Amino acid sequence: MSAGAKKRIMKEYGECMKDTPSGMKINFDEQNMTEWEILLDGPEQSIYSGGHFKLKMTFPTEYPFKPPVVSFKTKIYHPNVSNDDKGSMCLGMLRPDEWKPPNKVVSVLRLIQTLLIEPNADDAIEPSIANEYKENRKEFDKTAKDWVKRYAK
Amino acid sequence: MADPATEDEHEEELNTLQSIYPELSISSRSPYVAEIDLVVAPVKPLLVSFVEEQGSHRLSYLSPLNITITLPEGYPAEEPPRLKLTTTPRWIPDTVLKKLQAECQSLWEEYGGMPILFAYISYLQESVETAFGLLDPSNKTPLELPRDMKPELLDFNAKMKREIFDKETFDCGICLEPKKGAACYRIERCGHVFCTPCLQDFYNNAVAEGDVNSVKCLDPSCGKTGDTRADRRQKPRLLSPKELLQVPLKKDVVKRFAEMRRKKKIEADKTIVNCPRKWCQGFARSDKYPKITDVTLLEDSDSEPEPEPEPEAHAVPPNPPEPEPEPEPSKNQEHDIEKRPGGVSTDRLAICEDCNLAFCSVCLASWHGDFVYCGPRKEAELSEEDQASLNFILAHTSPCPYCSVPSQKMHGCNHMTCSQCKTHFCYLCSSWLDPGNPYEHFNNKKKKECFQRLWDLEEGDGGDAAEAQAQFWEQEALRLQMEEVRVHEGGGGNT
Repeated sequence: MSAGAKKRIMKEYGECMKDTPSGMKINFDEQNMTEWEILLDGPEQSIYSGGHFKLKMTFPTEYPFKPPVVSFKTKIYHPNVSNDDKGSMCLGMLRPDEWKPPNKVVSVLRLIQTLLIEPNADDAIEPSIANEYKENRKEFDKTAKDWVKRYAK
Repeated sequence: MADPATEDEHEEELNTLQSIYPELSISSRSPYVAEIDLVVAPVKPLLVSFVEEQGSHRLSYLSPLNITITLPEGYPAEEPPRLKLTTTPRWIPDTVLKKLQAECQSLWEEYGGMPILFAYISYLQESVETAFGLLDPSNKTPLELPRDMKPELLDFNAKMKREIFDKETFDCGICLEPKKGAACYRIERCGHVFCTPCLQDFYNNAVAEGDVNSVKCLDPSCGKTGDTRADRRQKPRLLSPKELLQVPLKKDVVKRFAEMRRKKKIEADKTIVNCPRKWCQGFARSDKYPKITDVTLLEDSDSEPEPEPEPEAHAVPPNPPEPEPEPEPSKNQEHDIEKRPGGVSTDRLAICEDCNLAFCSVCLASWHGDFVYCGPRKEAELSEEDQASLNFILAHTSPCPYCSVPSQKMHGCNHMTCSQCKTHFCYLCSSWLDPGNPYEHFNNKKKKECFQRLWDLEEGDGGDAAEAQAQFWEQEALRLQMEEVRVHEGGGGNT
């Protein structure tokens, strides 16, 4: 990783510290600054309220030319998070072809929060969950809340 | 003789003026002569156009008004200062200059013989804001200027813009560091600014990885209207090779970028065929995708016509297109081919842009002239009848190895003589046969395909002859079968 990239990650960490989005905590290890651990509370107005989610943000060597990789370490029932042990996300600015270097970690974190409040079923990584979200919202909400209780407490 | 008091007064006034305007220079030859340049930067860019040229330019900076002041002995009591107002090039119309000069006279009269230089220069400075009244409030009618002033005025405007830009500070969105304009680049189309090293890193990387579609402005909001669907449909606006050289990227990187863009475009175009030589595989020459001869002249990366950009003052005058080193098959030639008797409706002649091989774009053989039949032809060109006859030709004829004319054998041996060019050839494999010893071909053990097959298809190939033959054998088979059954039946009866 280039010195420029490291400098930028440090700078971004500083910015995040100054202005951490509410309900979020960042664990930063200076020895391994390309992997951030993020503790995220389910936003109150969302079905994930009450849950505590652990996320990992990994910065590629080419950062900021390539997007950071976000994965949910805590299982979550969500159309935009892969329903496997990876818990990966790939939408909007996180998509390699949509990522622009001036995008920042803060905006990625905000995007995740927004998605918890309002999933984007049109750009889903889990089509069946997206379909349920669109067609059978009651069932979706039930399972999502159930998972919060089961995995995210 | 000059009154020493007046002399002092003159000197004093000019010195005072110099302390207010440090750019004022007092002549080394006479302490009563001074000159000052006023850069003309109107509040809004001045719209100008050049005689006999389309389009207009918005100039934010115009070459300065030079004021040479000579203080006569009688100044200020009896005489106004003598003035010379000039610009290089002379873009301010003479009538306007006269008016500005007359203003000095009336100011002097108004002040009743008091020193007026400061007042006058302030007046001129104020007038600069409206470009001495030349700035049209609606900003629609351009100021028309002689064409020969164009390079100088555009250069000056660009130079001033650059100077001002260089002194500004920008926060680069990539490294997140504040950078001086001198280390930054402003993208022409959208005006977004990034620091040069970051842009170079990103674009070099994108070109090296072959990701040409990333070579566009890096601002996340750039080109986004908010309507995701419309935005997704919109093609990315790539930077032109010409602009990439200004960033600057190295010429060979820009060249690679331009070549890749061109290759992608051609590959998407099904009308362009590749050279049939295996070691070459170049594209057929085409007017639509001229070969890149000089990347510095490539102003566009996108093939589709772009909306006319606002003619910006710093836009460099368009260069004439590079003359092609080799003459392309012109429209006229194509036309001639169509007119030739027996000519084909589409021009099949293709020439490889790399190895110059002339070949047929349909059958991919080296060029056989206009009159030779070849296939496969495009399905769209063929009527049902054509298709049927084509199928028959493929199934029941062999082409002459010399002129490609399809021949159908009606009967006899497989030693053929072309009815068109009299070439001797083998009906089975279309090989050329030596007219002196044509049958050797069928007696040569090495030619496994045709060995001992001189009389294959003796009754002819296809058509009536073959049908008759086929029918005969069918009948014969049926007859034999029946006979066999009868024998069996008979046998059965015996037991």
